Amino acid sequence: MFSKILIANRGEIAIRIIRACKEMGIATVAVFSEADRDALHVSLADESYCIGPAPAAKSYLNQEAILMIARFCGVQAIHPGYGLLSENAAFAELCEQAGIVFIGAPADVMRKMGDKDMARHTMRAAGVPVVPGCDLVTTPDDAKREAEKIGYPLLIKARAGGGGRGIRRVNSKAELEAAYQSAAAEAKSAFSDGALYMEKLLEHVKHIEVQLLCDTAGNVICLGERDCSMQRKNQKVMEESPAVCVTDDLRARLIDITAKAARQVGYVGAGTIEYLLTQDGQFYFMEMNTRLQVEHPVTEMVTGIDLVKWQIRIASGQPLLIAQQDVHIDQHAIECRINAEDPEADFRPSCGQISLLHIPGGPHVRFDTALYQGYVVPPFYDSMIGKLIVSAKTREDAIRKMQAALCEMVIEGVNHNAQMHIDLLCEPAFIDGSYTTDYLANRKA
Amino acid sequence: MTLFNKWLFKKPNNKLEGSADVQENPADALVACDSCNSSFPAKTLPEQDYTCPRCGALFTVSARQRMRWLCDADSFCELDTDLRPADRLQFPGYAEKLKKAQQESGEPEGIITGTATIDGLPCALFFMNPQFIMGSMGAVVGEKITRLFEHATEQKLPVIGYTVSGGARIQEGIFSLMQMAKTSGAVLRHSQAGLLYVAVLTHPTTGGVVASFAMEADIILAEPRALIGFAGPRVIEQTIRQKLPEGFQRAELLLVKGFVDRIVPRKEQKQELAQLLRLHGREAV
Repeated sequence: MFSKILIANRGEIAIRIIRACKEMGIATVAVFSEADRDALHVSLADESYCIGPAPAAKSYLNQEAILMIARFCGVQAIHPGYGLLSENAAFAELCEQAGIVFIGAPADVMRKMGDKDMARHTMRAAGVPVVPGCDLVTTPDDAKREAEKIGYPLLIKARAGGGGRGIRRVNSKAELEAAYQSAAAEAKSAFSDGALYMEKLLEHVKHIEVQLLCDTAGNVICLGERDCSMQRKNQKVMEESPAVCVTDDLRARLIDITAKAARQVGYVGAGTIEYLLTQDGQFYFMEMNTRLQVEHPVTEMVTGIDLVKWQIRIASGQPLLIAQQDVHIDQHAIECRINAEDPEADFRPSCGQISLLHIPGGPHVRFDTALYQGYVVPPFYDSMIGKLIVSAKTREDAIRKMQAALCEMVIEGVNHNAQMHIDLLCEPAFIDGSYTTDYLANRKA
Repeated sequence: MTLFNKWLFKKPNNKLEGSADVQENPADALVACDSCNSSFPAKTLPEQDYTCPRCGALFTVSARQRMRWLCDADSFCELDTDLRPADRLQFPGYAEKLKKAQQESGEPEGIITGTATIDGLPCALFFMNPQFIMGSMGAVVGEKITRLFEHATEQKLPVIGYTVSGGARIQEGIFSLMQMAKTSGAVLRHSQAGLLYVAVLTHPTTGGVVASFAMEADIILAEPRALIGFAGPRVIEQTIRQKLPEGFQRAELLLVKGFVDRIVPRKEQKQELAQLLRLHGREAV
């Protein structure tokens, strides 16, 4: 086991990891930017070091500074959290060369899954259904030929894609060439890689993901699925587990195929495979997240398994002590992401000092946050300021509990989206679980 | 104003989970550049010739490391390995300092001398060691250099010398200062025999070493940005009470002023020295 870990992240996830370390008796080292001097993770860790100015590129993404602090403090491992350096294969390699364990997936798997085209190929080879489409297309004519086979509407996607860039929707043959050229140009400037492939556009789909935990000895367990279909501009806002739309039979198939895929790629650590689920019950591989996810507490609440602790144990070489048959999901959990943004002004990010804070409590209510009263939410980073998670025996009870918890929550000083969540919980599409990824885009506020 | 601080939170009394198998970190797996503060894995240092990939600053390397870089494999034949320093003046703390330096560097003194081939060309060489009291020149250092030049004169060998030094060794008082005259005499006789002497001045080469054999070479090369001078810049600043200009006493300025003949990066040194030996050899024929 590691006796000291550096946490290369900020906000609620840094605190989540520090808490796990404190329970495990591991000393913690926090790093922070000049804008985060007063952040909670800085005070909560045993040691804290400033690694640069406010912009993440100069601080939280400053690999050299992080490694230097790691060496200086004598840590044995670095936990990257989510976002930032968590899926950076080069950083993982740098850590390895420096003799420090990167708590995450192996660098080669990260690289394989980061390349969307390669990920498609790898998953297809592992027997995972992928969205009908084609391999890389090199010219607009080439694309036209393939498009006839796939059928419209379709999506042109960049091989190196991420953050929604390099993606174009094509409704008909007439739009193809223009879409091809602009996607290629955007991908080239954003990722210096203009390579494109095409996929059939699946509409009115569910975003379902399966949580994995794999150890170095090759043991793989799946911790059920999460329904993350409530999205705004490709950003999840609400997640729940289990998914209403996933039948027992479908769940068994999802778990089986996910575990097979994980074994095939030699996965180690905590990871997630995301699928698109169509109305007729077909599921297709979308992407693999080789890291801890924002919505991991949902799975923790339904399984009782601490994902962060297991990440650390696995990274230190310990085998998984849980078998697939030990995973029982007999709870329903919902998570609402509380973002500092103004729902009245097209969700523009909001920042400022928290003048009043009341965190909801009671049994099976969890609020993961880095807020405290008097804290100033800086404008430089992600707008998520907290995650409210509840669990109960049934989905209906969980919705009731979430309603009560949201209404008890008080965050004053910044605008936030709690009211939107309160409204959403009452809407028929949420109550019957039929909401799809385009629900929020088409919803009239 | 920070509202929270570390004193507000108590430290939980939790023992390390599964503490029987604590993982240890390999020491010094990362190195940091003193000049630009960037850090990178120590493993990659040799392939970068101990040069910072970010700013080009040079890392300190031991005498033996330089010998391994420069000489053809297994060609180095070390001379005078039995000479050991002595605390003749009973200088306070010197005996302990010597012991510590010997332990840290793994060498009995601050220099290694010997003969070897570079690209197949025979020569005599000396390498001063920055890890031994900053390459300071005591009686043994002076004696080994003198004997090397005498040996080279006898064997008609050119001499290549890598210097790095803080100057004469204070703890040996007048004995260390005498080395300046002694080594200079040996260099002169080697020169009078028509033999080549090339010095490579590395960071830092100062004091009595500069005032003797370092600056007496036929060809004087230097490493980029090496500090080369008699009195160090801090001593000068404190004496004249003025801030010294940027680049003062650096190899680049000395090149302009004519004290140094060429600045050679580490990567090119072996090739450069072999070329000089080759040219010299042909000329001598």
